Amino acid sequence: MFLIVSFLSQLAGNLIFTQALGTSTVFISAKNKRSFMGVAFIICIFTTFGSMGAYFADRLLNGYFENFRLFAYVIITGIIYLSSLFILWCISKRLYGRLKKYIHIASFNCAVMGTLYMISENPENTGISDYLLYGLQSGLGFIIASVFVATAYKRLNCAKVPSSFRGMPAMLVYLGIISMAVWTLK
Amino acid sequence: MNIQKKRTLSWVDIILTLASLEVMAYFYYGVRTLIMAGLCMAVSFVCDWIAVWFMKKKYVPDDLMSLADGLAIALMMPASIDFRIPMISCAFAVLVGKNLFGGRKNIIFSPCAVGYLFALTSWGNKILMYPSPDKKLEISAENAVLSHSLSYDFNNAGNISISDFDLLIGNFRGAMGTVSILLLIVSAFVLLFRKAVSAGAFTGVIAGMVFMAFIVPVSESRSESLKYIMATNMFLFSSVYIVSDKRVAPLNNYYAFFYGLFTAVTAYIIILTTAKENMIPAVSVIMTPVALLFKSIQLKADKYASEEKKGEINEKQNY
Amino acid sequence: MKSMKNRITDGLLRDNTVLSAGMIISPAIICTTSFRDSLALVYAFSVITFFADIIAYLIPKKLPYAVRVIWTSAISSLLYVPVRELTMMIYPESVERIGIYFPLIAVNSLIVYQTQHRFLNLDFRELIGNLVFYILGFDIVVLVCGALRELIAYGTVNNKVMNISMTVSGAGLPFGGFIILGIICGIYRKIRSLLSSGED
Repeated sequence: MFLIVSFLSQLAGNLIFTQALGTSTVFISAKNKRSFMGVAFIICIFTTFGSMGAYFADRLLNGYFENFRLFAYVIITGIIYLSSLFILWCISKRLYGRLKKYIHIASFNCAVMGTLYMISENPENTGISDYLLYGLQSGLGFIIASVFVATAYKRLNCAKVPSSFRGMPAMLVYLGIISMAVWTLK
Repeated sequence: MNIQKKRTLSWVDIILTLASLEVMAYFYYGVRTLIMAGLCMAVSFVCDWIAVWFMKKKYVPDDLMSLADGLAIALMMPASIDFRIPMISCAFAVLVGKNLFGGRKNIIFSPCAVGYLFALTSWGNKILMYPSPDKKLEISAENAVLSHSLSYDFNNAGNISISDFDLLIGNFRGAMGTVSILLLIVSAFVLLFRKAVSAGAFTGVIAGMVFMAFIVPVSESRSESLKYIMATNMFLFSSVYIVSDKRVAPLNNYYAFFYGLFTAVTAYIIILTTAKENMIPAVSVIMTPVALLFKSIQLKADKYASEEKKGEINEKQNY
Repeated sequence: MKSMKNRITDGLLRDNTVLSAGMIISPAIICTTSFRDSLALVYAFSVITFFADIIAYLIPKKLPYAVRVIWTSAISSLLYVPVRELTMMIYPESVERIGIYFPLIAVNSLIVYQTQHRFLNLDFRELIGNLVFYILGFDIVVLVCGALRELIAYGTVNNKVMNISMTVSGAGLPFGGFIILGIICGIYRKIRSLLSSGED
């Protein structure tokens, strides 16, 4: 029962279904099962580590420097972006060659930046553990939404769908209908 | 009887059972219910016909299932609602929920669930207020006295005082076609017997609800909890016409059972934790990826089985 | 071979930023609940994207891809500060309503990715032309979406009452944005295919 309640709360606060954050990224990643798992997992890493960086940035930014919050988040995301590329390159050049395109897609997008903003906007998030947990939950929520899109991807791109709506329009409406159902949970 | 005729008769069975519910609604609320049902069916038919025409396909008898969708959406509404609301919901369900994804050959969501959810999220306050079944409504329904449904009282209080007889015949506040419990039970048996709905999904939903009602009862008594949860929250209606919809549920009864089970358990937990009413349509939409996943697993399994058979036949021939 | 005029106007019709390329969908869905909010979004997006892309064009192309992406994002995030102050003066309530999506415009995919993959390979005049039409493509979609959603959800357009007897409040919610944008995208594709078959 606890698992179902957690799943439902993940849905109710989901990045994509309630905030539409990361929708473009989901469409790109849902094209094949490998890329969708890769991008979703890497976004989860970005949101988790990014949230830790956001904690320190939020402590330092006060008064007028609040306006430079976005700049601070860009720098944090940039550091994670470069670090992840460097670590991959050090581990295995072959792995780097395979995964770097996912890291490029997953780095600067609404899902990651939006998560960092939402964490700081929420007054309940005070400690670093709150930030970390929120970042991890957002990443997991993105993975759930990616699964939802990936299971329906073939159906939404098949020849039975009218050609004008095949692909992205059908996916948008599909996400909209699921978002409508999720909205009733709120 | 050939397969084509069997498919055509399924929607007739569904419409006949829905029509019986409509007759009960007319008995309680008057001619207003008939007008609403007629308008909803007309809108569904016209929208479906236009969509099929746009897609340059031929309109066949199987497409008349949209009449059943329209009637089902009308029966999920309060009897006093403005006519435009169920009409717009039907148009949305048929055009966006069904035909945008390719029509009856590529149904992803139950059109009834989509139409109801659209109405619930857009006009929530009006959808969840119901007239009393004691008084027949005028066509305009201007002077109808509205209040919360029995489901609302049950979800919030955990206990309600209503006789079993009233419960069975639907003499309580609720959506006009979802309260006649006895008629719904009979309809369920008829449709299961006629194989017009998924037996696996229906069994799964019932099993899920019974299991949850015994493990975590809403009321003090387990049997009362089970009785009231089955009678309220559009549970029976949604189990038969939404979750067990053959267009949506997995074809294999084994997978359909688990699809129904997950839907029922999730809906029960939502009712228990949030006291929100009529959650099964929402949960059935959220469980769509589960149904699609089961269908794709089934397709792969069937493909693998047929390839194995072909291989065996080839081996025998070679031998 | 496409003419220069066609290549420049791609961003408006053939390769629309939102409807074809599928970029910057989040603000287009969440922030277009009214025409006024759409105007605020359009203003901020146009100014930030235009100047950020021109500055990004001046970044040495020999730098690694990742470094150029970070530089471009950092520049646009700095540009965001004065643009936000200006937008607050013109549309203060809209900026409050748009919330976190306002800063997210500054790191949109048009600046971060399209610049690197497409615009940096063009000469300066072609860049300006392309940029203007890609930005216009987003602006038009957002304005149309905003007007439509405000009309359906509230019965007004730019706060002017339009005499609609029935409103659908769902159009003002996120799922309404998904569905309406999806339908607009489908209609756009149909029009595009009719136009391209007509040209053939």
